[in-house]
Amino acid sequence: MKRKFQVLFSIILLFTVHSLLFTGCSPQKEKIYRKSKILMDTMVTITVVSDSEKKAEIAINEALSEIEKIGDLLNFFSDKSEIAEINKNAGVRPVKVSPETLEILDKTTYASEITSGAFDITIGPVISLWDFHKKIKPEDKAIKERLSLVSYKGIILDKAASSAYLNTKGMVIDPGGIAKGYAADKAVDMLKKSGIESGLVSIAGDIKAFGLKPDGRPWKIGIKNPRPTPLYSPLGKGGKGGSEIMATIELSDKAISTSGDYERYFIIEGSRYHHILNPKTGYPASECQSVSVIAKDGAATDSFSTGVFILGYEKGLRLLENMGFDGIIVDKDGKIHITSNLRGKLEFKRDN
Amino acid sequence: MQLQDKYRIALLSAYAVAIHSFESMLPTPVPWLRLGIANIITLVTLVLYGFRSAMTVTLIRVILSSMFIGTFLGPGFILSLGGGVSSTMAMGAVFSILPRLFGPLGLSLIGALFHNIAQLFLAYILFVQQIEPILIISPILILLGTITGVVNGIIAGLLIKNIPKNKSLSKKS
Amino acid sequence: MSLKEITKETTIADRFLVIALIILSISGSLFVKKAFPEGTDVRIDVDGKPVYLLPLDVNMVVAVKGMNGDSIVEIKDKKVRIKESSCPNKICVHNGWMDRGAIICLPNKVTVNIGSPENRQDRTIDAITG
Repeated sequence: MKRKFQVLFSIILLFTVHSLLFTGCSPQKEKIYRKSKILMDTMVTITVVSDSEKKAEIAINEALSEIEKIGDLLNFFSDKSEIAEINKNAGVRPVKVSPETLEILDKTTYASEITSGAFDITIGPVISLWDFHKKIKPEDKAIKERLSLVSYKGIILDKAASSAYLNTKGMVIDPGGIAKGYAADKAVDMLKKSGIESGLVSIAGDIKAFGLKPDGRPWKIGIKNPRPTPLYSPLGKGGKGGSEIMATIELSDKAISTSGDYERYFIIEGSRYHHILNPKTGYPASECQSVSVIAKDGAATDSFSTGVFILGYEKGLRLLENMGFDGIIVDKDGKIHITSNLRGKLEFKRDN
Repeated sequence: MQLQDKYRIALLSAYAVAIHSFESMLPTPVPWLRLGIANIITLVTLVLYGFRSAMTVTLIRVILSSMFIGTFLGPGFILSLGGGVSSTMAMGAVFSILPRLFGPLGLSLIGALFHNIAQLFLAYILFVQQIEPILIISPILILLGTITGVVNGIIAGLLIKNIPKNKSLSKKS
Repeated sequence: MSLKEITKETTIADRFLVIALIILSISGSLFVKKAFPEGTDVRIDVDGKPVYLLPLDVNMVVAVKGMNGDSIVEIKDKKVRIKESSCPNKICVHNGWMDRGAIICLPNKVTVNIGSPENRQDRTIDAITG
């Protein structure tokens, strides 16, 4: 009897020590490799799972240069981009563009149609009246005047000739609301082409995940709290100092994008003026604090998060359900609404 | 189990519970030093009355004290139970397999070490799930465990020498 | 009872064990801090769930709601510490300033992890949207 006990103890002790020593070092050869770079005026981080550091590095670099290429094509602020060329020739003539630019403009028109014009990249002329850095709120009259230039229906695409044309002089397109999601799609395609089976591309808040991590789990994404608790005052200014995470969700082979009223904004007399403008009014949309959309396609999540933000949570939630997308909406009162498919899949912070 | 053994276990458990509860109420002299004085009782029981008595005393101590302190079945309780059981097992195993190698001091150190290892392991799997903070805190806890283990071991050694074996503890001699 | 008498009661193995443990833990604590890569951000988790991701180069103080009350985390001059904590033993507070690795407060289930997007291998969070 005593002997049996002794043997049992020894086994248990050995087991305890061993498991303590070896947890954390996974037996698989596959490892996670990461690299960050500033592209498209924001932080881009690419994560891949690979069994070779060299292979991972090559794949990441190729994906990064793909993002850089798309950034150059779609750069609203550069005179040399194709977007600038289209804007310059508004009301003048169609401009020959690359297949990528054509594809992205096609995707924006689609998103505009589905969201009944809530997402509209022709908001450019009104956007340029606002200055969220210098806290300039334009005259109501000026906004009204420019609104006549805002309509996605004025974007004329000719796929056969691979050209794009804005039909009214003074029209300006700014694909900023879809470019990052689209770039994430392209970067993931590139990684897959390089033989990577699992990874994560994150361009600011636009994230696309594919495959599983070495431990067999999906990728875990944190969703920012649009209103960090006042106690955490250092983060108060739009969370510039960092992020307070509201909830987390596990994703694989899906993209997620978030639009929030806290990224660029100013407050005058208690009213918050932020950068997501309603194309119908020319003023910031006030129905939501933050909208996250989950779907297969990064271009779709990027554009629909903006569109749903403008539509508000009731219409937005219905739209997402109809499209088969998932979404997390924080309405203007801070209430959280989620699509039915997400129930039980979100992990909220303890005190929620 | 003989009646006398039962008395003995009950009495030792009562000491252990009292010490454990008292210690948890103490504003610890150095803020991060847990004394683990209750381990003295476990050790004395082990050496004088064997492993089964020691384990019984440990279980009674952990369960009853947690009820007194109000942490029963909480996270603190799980850590306390895991620490207590593995330290008793480790001391018991070493004492029965290699009875002459270590004195009370060595046994006390082994108990403290396994107490810490078990708690760190439990904390890792139950709460933290990150290896870095556990690795960073481990050496500090083991050092503290060694210091208190030496003190406890010496006290246990004195007690064992001065309590005549197989005599009932309830009779004052 | 003198020190001599106490040492007489101990076996050789006892004495060896004391010395081994002390050497092991002291060298361990010196080595383990340096073994971690330097980081650029601070991630704070409560109960295994990520709650904050903060840059290491911005000075700030954050109150983290732990399981037993607040833990106050301070970031200053690219170093992090737990300034105050509602936990009973305060091991986390006495850990002091860290520029790499992690700090843990077990009773509060708060972990403060210094890392960077490149070197994070843990599984609590992979990216943030918003």
